[in-house]
Amino acid sequence: MSKVQAFYHKHRTILLLAVFAALCVLPFVVTKALFVRYACNILLFATLAGSLNAINGYSGQMCLGQAGFFAIGAYVCAIFSTRFGVNFWLLLPISGVFAAMVGLLVALPTLKLQGIYLSIVTLGASEIIRIIAQTWEPVTGGALGIKNIPYPWLFGLDTFRPKYYYFIFLLIGVLFLLVTNRVLKSRVGRAWISIREDQIAAKSLGVQTSFYKSLNFMYGAFWAGVVGCAYAPFVNYIEASQFSTDTGFNVLAMIVIGGQGTLLGPILGSMIVTVLTESLRFLDNWRYVIYAVIIIMMMWLRPQGIAGASHSVLAGGKIKRKPLRREGARSHG
Amino acid sequence: MEYLLNQLVNGICQGSIYALMAIGYSVIVGVVGMVTFTYGEIMMIGAFGAFYSFQFFGNNLALAIVMAFASSFLLGIVVYKVCYERFFNAPRHIALLCTIGFSMLMKNLVQIVFGPEQKPMINIINNATYTLRLGSVAVDFKLLQIVVMLLVILFAVSLTLFFNRTRWGVALRAVSQNKQAAYMMGINVKRTAMLGNCIGCGFGGIAGILLSIYYYTVSSTIWGNFSMKAFSASVLGGLVDLRLSALGGLCMGIIENLGITISSATFRDVFSFAFLIVILVIRPQGFAAKKGSRV
Repeated sequence: MSKVQAFYHKHRTILLLAVFAALCVLPFVVTKALFVRYACNILLFATLAGSLNAINGYSGQMCLGQAGFFAIGAYVCAIFSTRFGVNFWLLLPISGVFAAMVGLLVALPTLKLQGIYLSIVTLGASEIIRIIAQTWEPVTGGALGIKNIPYPWLFGLDTFRPKYYYFIFLLIGVLFLLVTNRVLKSRVGRAWISIREDQIAAKSLGVQTSFYKSLNFMYGAFWAGVVGCAYAPFVNYIEASQFSTDTGFNVLAMIVIGGQGTLLGPILGSMIVTVLTESLRFLDNWRYVIYAVIIIMMMWLRPQGIAGASHSVLAGGKIKRKPLRREGARSHG
Repeated sequence: MEYLLNQLVNGICQGSIYALMAIGYSVIVGVVGMVTFTYGEIMMIGAFGAFYSFQFFGNNLALAIVMAFASSFLLGIVVYKVCYERFFNAPRHIALLCTIGFSMLMKNLVQIVFGPEQKPMINIINNATYTLRLGSVAVDFKLLQIVVMLLVILFAVSLTLFFNRTRWGVALRAVSQNKQAAYMMGINVKRTAMLGNCIGCGFGGIAGILLSIYYYTVSSTIWGNFSMKAFSASVLGGLVDLRLSALGGLCMGIIENLGITISSATFRDVFSFAFLIVILVIRPQGFAAKKGSRV
């Protein structure tokens, strides 16, 4: 393993560029439209899981309501593009900002709360968003949803084919990774990680925990909104049941399986979960059983996930620490 | 006015079921020290236990309640072994995610074994309605509502007696207060925690049968929301206090039913969650007197 890592660190730029090039050629090599659709789904959920990982994996808060922010992005895109004909590329940041604002609204009351209180509030907020989307008929179309969301412009390519829509997801995914990578290496990212590892210690070192926690929430919500905005034209039709808490738990399962606290983890998780659920389609409900068993196994064997941050609090009690020994406590007694 | 009062009665009845759910939930959180997301599935198993008891052993409510309690109690052992036992010293989110996984597992296994369709629960209590006249205002009580409320009070009182008057109850309270100290007093902490989890689950099962009688249906999918209600009610009561959790559940039931009188029935969950968020903003510790939560 360390050899692989050493190789990666030595040829990092070349390797990443090679992966990027391979991903660019992928829709032309894989000709079957269904598989390209799966690839689109993987990219979509990798970015969504990444946005959740920015919250759960980096600042150690337990957000269970990512489906809500995702829904905000999707609905903002659908409403603005069908009603007012706003350009998709303009809507990407707009829906991100909308979601981030809702994220702030959720984060503000939870600043005083921690852990499990935060989870229940985020879960409740996600349910409230879904129910409002389901019932506010004049704006969101109610249970009928919103149909015929216009496909985005992409250099004149007909993006209603997954083959070309793929590039939009790829663009957003790469953008997300680049930005998040920079953010994590900055003061802000270090503050998030310090909060995750030990909030009291972080506070004592002068990190304004409530400020950085709400910033973290807004950041995760922003990207969930952006992904939601890209999702709405892709499926062309959205309705409230697509954003139920099960979707949220699905995304959570991805980062649990793939790994929290690393950029690779959510991508791996999205690949595993999507491939698993699509390839085991013939098993019907049994595939969800398998899926649930994998989550439990993961918690038992490797709580930080396959590619998770092993040297962190996420890894549970598995980190080897030097035992504390008091000098001379026994030898002279 | 009359309509409002009737809704209040509905609210109190539904709230008392929520209160029972919240009591069970608080027992689990208090004794084990970790939260659970499998509670909805535990309630579902209780309801299914009662459903099959009605099918095979005739229309006997007492027997059905015992069956519901027993099936949820047994499932509680599995939940404890899978989700909690290994993770007492690990960070809390690990057990939490484990319970989410277990909840997915149960939901889909039940759909495979018992079928995905909604099953009608038999109408065990007849539809008699009693009207109470207060001057010009008439308030309707259904017999079902009266029975449900009486059962909830009965179980709540018996649980309180169990906690205060028996050796097991005292051991459970000791573990809930301080595991280390309980261990030093010679209490088998792991076994007691398992018992606490199972008792909480059993009460969830009883709440499950009451809910399914109240809504006349049993299915594998409708329970997720109710588990969140139990969770919210328990959070309102500060997570570990049984009486305050019961109060939280009662308040949620009343708020929901009064809320849907001024809007539409689809907003039911919005009212309960909004109420929870508002209370948490004003008092982060819920109804509890001081910040005593360790979860």
